[in-house]
Amino acid sequence: MGTSRNVERRTILKVAGASAATLGLAATTGCGGDSGSGDGTVTLRYAWWGGEPRTIAIKKTIALFEKKYPKIKIKPEFTDYEAFWEKFQTQASGGNPPDVFQNAVGFLRKYDKRGVLLDLKTQADAGNLSLDNFRNGVLANGQVDGKQIGIPVGANTMALVIDVKAFKKAGVEAKFGWTWDEYFDALQTIQDKLKIAGDTGYCSIMYLYDLYLRQNGKAFFTDSDLGFTEDDLTQWWEDGYKRVRSGLIADPKKVEQVKPKSALSAGLAASEFTWDNFSIRYEGEGESDYGLAPIPTTDGKQTGQYLGSLMLSAFSGTKHPKEVAQFIDFMVHDPEVGKIMGYDRGILATTEQYDAFKPTDANNKGVAAYEDEVAKAGVLGKITPHPSGADVIEAAFLRLGGEVTQGKTKPADAAKALFSEAKAAFAG
Amino acid sequence: MTLVKEAPARPAKKRSAAPAAGRRGRRRENLAGYLFMSPWIAGFLLLTAGPMIASLYYAFTSYNLFTPPKWVGLDNFTTMFQDPRWQKSVEVTLKYVVVATPLKLLLALGVALLLAQKRRGQGLYRAAFYMPSLIGASVSVGFVWRALFSDDAIVDRSQKIFGLDVGGWIGNPDYVLYSLVALSIWQFGAPMVIFLAGLKQVPRELYEAAEVDGAGPLRRFWNITLPMISPVLFFNVLLESIHAFQVFGSAYVVSDTRCGPADATLVYTCYLYQKGFKEAQMGFASAMAWTLVIAVALVTAVLFWSQKKWVHYEEAAK
Repeated sequence: MGTSRNVERRTILKVAGASAATLGLAATTGCGGDSGSGDGTVTLRYAWWGGEPRTIAIKKTIALFEKKYPKIKIKPEFTDYEAFWEKFQTQASGGNPPDVFQNAVGFLRKYDKRGVLLDLKTQADAGNLSLDNFRNGVLANGQVDGKQIGIPVGANTMALVIDVKAFKKAGVEAKFGWTWDEYFDALQTIQDKLKIAGDTGYCSIMYLYDLYLRQNGKAFFTDSDLGFTEDDLTQWWEDGYKRVRSGLIADPKKVEQVKPKSALSAGLAASEFTWDNFSIRYEGEGESDYGLAPIPTTDGKQTGQYLGSLMLSAFSGTKHPKEVAQFIDFMVHDPEVGKIMGYDRGILATTEQYDAFKPTDANNKGVAAYEDEVAKAGVLGKITPHPSGADVIEAAFLRLGGEVTQGKTKPADAAKALFSEAKAAFAG
Repeated sequence: MTLVKEAPARPAKKRSAAPAAGRRGRRRENLAGYLFMSPWIAGFLLLTAGPMIASLYYAFTSYNLFTPPKWVGLDNFTTMFQDPRWQKSVEVTLKYVVVATPLKLLLALGVALLLAQKRRGQGLYRAAFYMPSLIGASVSVGFVWRALFSDDAIVDRSQKIFGLDVGGWIGNPDYVLYSLVALSIWQFGAPMVIFLAGLKQVPRELYEAAEVDGAGPLRRFWNITLPMISPVLFFNVLLESIHAFQVFGSAYVVSDTRCGPADATLVYTCYLYQKGFKEAQMGFASAMAWTLVIAVALVTAVLFWSQKKWVHYEEAAK
């Protein structure tokens, strides 16, 4: 800038204003307007989170859809769970979320409250989407205040995954209706005989604590609040910490360092609580055999389990609600899609897809058998509400549980912190 | 930027005396100049100045990205100062700054002293030591670090030789921050290059005179080198501490995006990020950002004030 000339301030402002305006225009045009074109072809953005196998499978199903609906093009967007929700939040706040996206129970109320989710009931009424043939009442998982804001693609439940070889070697058995005492006794036997921990860290898992509370006539969430007291949680974490110190639960320092591998497949412990559709990962990661076992109970009967769901939701501001509904309809009802997806997102939610997919490998068979067993035992309850902010609370529960088991925070202080953070999360 | 600086220096008289045609031509030229600058100006206004002003406003609001910001006055700041996690993040950050910065500079100075001497393959050494500074901030190095300092990985095994078995640093809340410190120290190349330049400026005759007077190497370093390079040292201290206050990438990657375990790597910016982008408390996050700006400005001011006591400028001494 060698020229030292005076420029009137107004000129600068004008130029700046003009360029700002043009850029602004460019930005607006960049965002919208690209979803439709002259020949009636419509483009929908479809986003999901998950590992590579899921992405490969979903892309196959998209190709199938585009073949059947040549006038609808699908633009896929995918990433891992945490990044997905960070990105989604930013996109949704800017009015530019994907037209269709994978969703979970914990996010329904949050984004319904913010007006992001399309009520798909209207599309069903218009005949673009069928709400029939959903198994075991899972369709209700996508309903909030009479609106259908999510369509389940699968059903899953919390389960106990065990290292089958370790359990056999220690001579312990997991059976339906066993109590927590029996469970921890079994872990003790494993620890004594095999010199490994029994569990990988149950007390930081919000969804397991939810089951425990449900066994005791409470639940983690009510419609708008937490469904337990600070004392309840203090007790839960005190017990957990005691078991970490005695070695019954794996050393959290070691668990942290084998990530992203699970501590169960890394051989640090003999069992882990997780969602049953995740159990497929263990065979790939670890060297032992893994199986699904019943959740321990308080009264010898109730496990507190329920069927949760991953679902598909749509953006309320989508320009093509009809096409979006057709897409979701295809993805949840088409038998071919069911064959391709398998139980990656849980047991297939509709009878068309469930009947079309016959699992051939041990893992998928195991998952199917497990849910059959649970269903037969008649212990499945109804899902409890997830108020807006549930996602933030789940993260806080995991973090604070970690502080407790690491011995860095006293259980009572951690429980207090959870309650104060929950208050802020519900308000947000 | 020169434009702004030089404009007032021009005598006003000359300007009014200029013929109208010339003025118009000049104005057109200026307009062209600004048009060429406009991408930068637009970028500055839209991407830097605008967001900064917006975040200053958000700092006094409750804003969840979806509903319009609600004015709450100083609420964000009062909640923040009482928030145990915020306090923890300040503690972690201060610890990081206070430990990492001096160690990094010491190493940089030490290696610079060695490399300042003439020897064969000098250029190669300098390049080799500088290399980590180029790649150190990358995400992939963060992953490498995580692997190096995990349980039963190379650092852990080497420690075991000396009977220091801590079972890996990454999972241990008492040690994990030091793996970040190590990562920072490893990137000592940038301050080292600046030190080298400073060392080159020290007049040889000072050393010769001191040697004649019988001063040993330590004395020469203490009484000649250090005072002579103190402006460079000051510059490095300033730059590196400001840098350290803003550490984010390494903590985020090494801790597997959670800034844990048990919040042990919850550096200030990490908490800010969690509040803003995970919990969508943009008002709180903005308040945090501005508090950091003010804190860093204060530290800078203190450093500038302190330089009177220890920084030696040759011109001033004359």
